[in-house]
Amino acid sequence: MIVIVNYDMGNLRSVEKALNHLNLENKISDKKSDIENSSGIILPGVGSFEQGMKNLNKKGLTHLLKNEVLLKKKPFLGICLGMQLIMEIGFEPRKNKGLGWIKGEVIPIKNKVLPVPHLGWNNIYKTKESISDTIDKNFYFIHSYHVKPNEKLEMMYTDYEYPMVASIRKENIFATQFHPEKSQKAGLDLIRKFFNE
Amino acid sequence: MLKLRIIPVLTFNGFSLVKTKQFKNPRTIGNPIQAAKIFNRRNVDELIFIDIEATRQKRKINLGLVSKIIDECYMPITIGGGVSSFEDIDNLLKIGADKVLIKSKAIEDPTFISESVKYFGSQCISIAVDAYKKNNSFYIYQISGEDISLNSFILKMNDVCAGEFAVNYVDNDGMMNGFEIGLYKEIMNMTKKPIIAIGGAGEPNHFVELITNGFFGGIAASSIYNFTQYTPNDIKLALNKNNTLTRL
Repeated sequence: MIVIVNYDMGNLRSVEKALNHLNLENKISDKKSDIENSSGIILPGVGSFEQGMKNLNKKGLTHLLKNEVLLKKKPFLGICLGMQLIMEIGFEPRKNKGLGWIKGEVIPIKNKVLPVPHLGWNNIYKTKESISDTIDKNFYFIHSYHVKPNEKLEMMYTDYEYPMVASIRKENIFATQFHPEKSQKAGLDLIRKFFNE
Repeated sequence: MLKLRIIPVLTFNGFSLVKTKQFKNPRTIGNPIQAAKIFNRRNVDELIFIDIEATRQKRKINLGLVSKIIDECYMPITIGGGVSSFEDIDNLLKIGADKVLIKSKAIEDPTFISESVKYFGSQCISIAVDAYKKNNSFYIYQISGEDISLNSFILKMNDVCAGEFAVNYVDNDGMMNGFEIGLYKEIMNMTKKPIIAIGGAGEPNHFVELITNGFFGGIAASSIYNFTQYTPNDIKLALNKNNTLTRL
């Protein structure tokens, strides 16, 4: 059973709906026993980095999640804010410590021309240098901050005036800035593939 | 590259889907759950659902119904109608709304928007702007009937960090006579935030016209999908042919 972590940061229902659609057994929960007995963990989330960390701390989830993901190596999917929170430091709205599973920061999008937030459907690319290496699918993005990892990782990028990290992969950890649960078939396929690995 | 978004709008009166003309004469057009199901199958970029009578009739949006609509959608969905408290926003986000659309409360109390943005994040707080023209200037249409200048309202919403503007031109609502291009040009000069243009779409060429005048963001419409043969995909194909990237 996959646990969708409930830390009062919105949009859990969309993730639950996507997993049900894919016939992946799941439960929205913040209970220690559920998380300990889970086969995989999803940390979704909409909202600010600061509020997200506050809620995780308040619910006593930071240590528990670290145990399950870093020690027990359970498949972990972080979505949007759930991706950002696994970094060391965030700046929304001011400097805060994150879960720190991946080295690096979460910084504001600094665009000169295009609007912020980065909102809508965009492609993802396998390399930063060449946009010819496109995954020919669009995913739904909605964010004003993006992660800037500071370690060697498997990464995908999206292009919004400059290349931004769209997803990261490190062993059992997969995290996306875009919302696979909101990206129609392309997104649903991605969730299915990750949890069926 | 980011794609231009093509967004069907569902307007609801508390009983069924309706389509108005210039915000008047609502004509019944069907069942919202059925409509959501069809638009999901048509793989649209996003959907907007608004209960256009909630504020006037002083009632809350029907969460049970909205939840059923959202359950049909595997794409982003924005919900509006009578949203005026933290609880309203929280209730909608909890059942899977991606954004909430706020109008009357934003006009009455801009601080409510800044507080909401602080708690829920700006990405889910969209402002509905219903504009009309008087003596060659744009104003905001609202229930009290008082003229509010478009300019000062947009700047105020910028200050309180609203996430997006959904801008409807009342005079063209349901008229299928094209978009009021001047309105969108004016707003784009005032804000860098994402904009959704609504009001007047009657044929694919109207979308192309708006884009060739420098608009980028989302384009929403209702009548064209109800009263003509065109689907959202037809619009996207027409735009793609015109060198505007859409998600096909």
